[in-house]
Amino acid sequence: MTGFVLRRLLAAVPTLIAVLTLVFIIVRIVPGDPALVILGDQATPEAIAALRTRLGLDRSLWAQYFSFITSALMGDFGVSMVTGRSITAEVAAVLPHTLDLTIASMIFGVVVGVPVGIWAALNRNGVVDVAARVLSLLGLSFPVFVSGIFLLLAFSLHWRWFPVIGGADLSDYGDRLHKLVLPTIALGLIMAAYITRVTRSAMLQSLGEDYIRTARAKGVPWRRVVWVHGLRNASIPIVTVVGLYVGILLGNSVLTEIVFNRPGLGKIIVGALNQRDYTMLQGLMVIYCFLIVVVNLITDLLYGVIDPRVKAE
Amino acid sequence: MRGFRAALLGSAMAIASAIGLHGAAQTQTAPTLRVGMAAQDVGRLDPHFAVSTIDRVVVAWMFNGLVRFKPGSINPAEIEPDLAERWESSADGKTWTFHLRRGVQFHGGFGELTAEDVVFSLRKSGTAATSAFAADYRAIESIEAVDSHTVRIVLRENIPSVLGILTNYSGGYIVSKRAVEQRGDTFVRNPIGTGPFALDRVTPNQSAELVAHAQYFRGAPQIGRISYRFIPSDASRDLAFQNRELDLNYGRADQTWVNRTRAVPNTVVDVFEPGELAIISLNTRQPPFNDIRIRQAMAHAVNRSELVRFRGQDVAREGQSVVPRGYLGFSNDNGLLPADPARARALLAEAGHPNGITIRAIHTQLPEMLNMMQVVQQQLRRAGITLDLQVVEHATFHQQIRQDLSPMVYYSAARFPVADIYLTQFFHGRSRVRTPTAVTNFSHCDQADSQIDAARVSTDVEEQKRLWAEAQRILVQNVCGVPLIETLLVFARRDNLDYGYELRGSMSLGPLITEATRLR
Repeated sequence: MTGFVLRRLLAAVPTLIAVLTLVFIIVRIVPGDPALVILGDQATPEAIAALRTRLGLDRSLWAQYFSFITSALMGDFGVSMVTGRSITAEVAAVLPHTLDLTIASMIFGVVVGVPVGIWAALNRNGVVDVAARVLSLLGLSFPVFVSGIFLLLAFSLHWRWFPVIGGADLSDYGDRLHKLVLPTIALGLIMAAYITRVTRSAMLQSLGEDYIRTARAKGVPWRRVVWVHGLRNASIPIVTVVGLYVGILLGNSVLTEIVFNRPGLGKIIVGALNQRDYTMLQGLMVIYCFLIVVVNLITDLLYGVIDPRVKAE
Repeated sequence: MRGFRAALLGSAMAIASAIGLHGAAQTQTAPTLRVGMAAQDVGRLDPHFAVSTIDRVVVAWMFNGLVRFKPGSINPAEIEPDLAERWESSADGKTWTFHLRRGVQFHGGFGELTAEDVVFSLRKSGTAATSAFAADYRAIESIEAVDSHTVRIVLRENIPSVLGILTNYSGGYIVSKRAVEQRGDTFVRNPIGTGPFALDRVTPNQSAELVAHAQYFRGAPQIGRISYRFIPSDASRDLAFQNRELDLNYGRADQTWVNRTRAVPNTVVDVFEPGELAIISLNTRQPPFNDIRIRQAMAHAVNRSELVRFRGQDVAREGQSVVPRGYLGFSNDNGLLPADPARARALLAEAGHPNGITIRAIHTQLPEMLNMMQVVQQQLRRAGITLDLQVVEHATFHQQIRQDLSPMVYYSAARFPVADIYLTQFFHGRSRVRTPTAVTNFSHCDQADSQIDAARVSTDVEEQKRLWAEAQRILVQNVCGVPLIETLLVFARRDNLDYGYELRGSMSLGPLITEATRLR
């Protein structure tokens, strides 16, 4: 197991370097001068040149690239061009908020999506199935900035149960949980809708297999047939989708963060892009890449837990 | 299934209980002003690098200048003492001596303000490597400390408003020399000033928290803390304001927004100066605008009253010159061409375009600027001018317009309220883009350089005004730019927030929170 994990982590290094190289090139191809953005529209060319020198942007691209890659591989992401703060510190300040939202949305999606998907599969073409399909389609069709505003109007403005402004003090767990509820529902609904559809489809396929018929013929109780034999065999596609979706949630939570006024990696990356904060963008890409590698690794490990044949391989 | 339901119910009750307990625990113990700002985050809080609106608003609460605009005013005639209690100037207006207040304390135990801090700050402001406003201080020859509380400034040449560059605005803020030297590059997020509020902490993407500066020289502020929240979504910010989670909210210069917000109970909408003048600069050195008839056609095609109606009568007014209204030296006696699409078509035909003309222009995707340009696009179409807008991201827009990649440039800006600044930055030959001394002259006009230069060094106020008026007449008649509208600043506040002064204008682009500001 340890060998497998180490091999996977080592295999991620070339991917990481390739991503970093691409990011380095892309942020420099995009027009827009960080020095001009920082200094504003009244800055003279002299002031802009001085700042470019200070930021190291007057060095050759090779020199900048080499310095970036070597520092990144040693875990040093440098400081933000705009704020001068350590990128590690900036990310560490908001990462818990992103992880809170991602994990809570994933749990919400699984807790709602899997049972509803199973229920729909067991009632194929019945009222429950049709309702689940329609609702999941609606869930997929509502972008967060629409469902989020509806949630805020209802639960914040009308009933006043939750605040509009998110972003709790990390040491205050009650406040953290309180402010996590609405964003989790908004983001988790989309994931739940997706998981519902995948679960339904995987369960329908699984329940049609010979081993299910055999189990029933042997007199295994129906509940056990569904939850143990059916669901376990349907789990591989569900885990795959959850793994993929967690990656998407990590990267695409920016709209949720904006609507619910939560800090997070998504907002930082949009801000860095607007301000052409090259160092921040590069640092964030390394962190994103690492998180995605970890999520994929966990997904692979889960395959082994679910299916002994994968473990044997 | 029954067990599952019980577990679900139990979890729901636990969450509800946590929420309820938490709600009960939320009690206000100190008067905190909660401000919502349309931004992802603050940038640089070193005042000499504070160029964005979000940064300008907050540094004004933390720093002072030698002099200041009277709170609520942007009238240079109302500049009053701030860190300097008095000053005098030589007969030729080139030597200025400022006498500092005694006992002014910096935040965070950084000691008493001395002449050394003032000399250091103004030299920093005038240095390109340490300030975004260095160009404003070119006229200063020397700054020296005469004694611990006296500073002497000597100018190379006269400038229209010496006090203007020493106010609580842009490079005029005074910082702690010791703090800058001690904190180095981190000073941008750990600033030390003398203002009524000190920075407590910045939580990235979330808020900047400020605390009252108990030793503030005008007296301890009545507000204990300021929570400056970064809320980029207009809808969410408005909801937070309606939900009473904010006391002061950055508004939209839009009539619908103003009307809707005024209808919120216990709410006051403040609309104040400075107005940002939007001008379309036409590159007079490149086709097609090197032909004055096409520039005149553009001027006749634009209908300013329609643009004002589009933006809102309460928040916008027609541009009347290439300098915003109310600035010292503004003149509307300049022969501005009226809206006349038929005359525009005739001019195009005269210039060899009887079937109209297509102009390709680069424009930003920022909604408030894009919307306005789309209205202009429709007006131009009526006159036979097809505007092919190439919409790009905002930072790209700023870079490309400085590379002369667009023959016409829509630009909206407010500056220090003296005509010289606007005329110099936007219409002086020295400020032409793609030159070593470039600022924002996109039209490449230089026809009024002699008037602008003469006015700058003149010591006769009436002569100065005459020269500025003449410069505006020349620039308008040459159609270097087509003025569109001036858009005012808008904030909404709860009616229990009393600024402590009448808000008519603010050079920091947001309400000044002073020691007298209170939550009733």
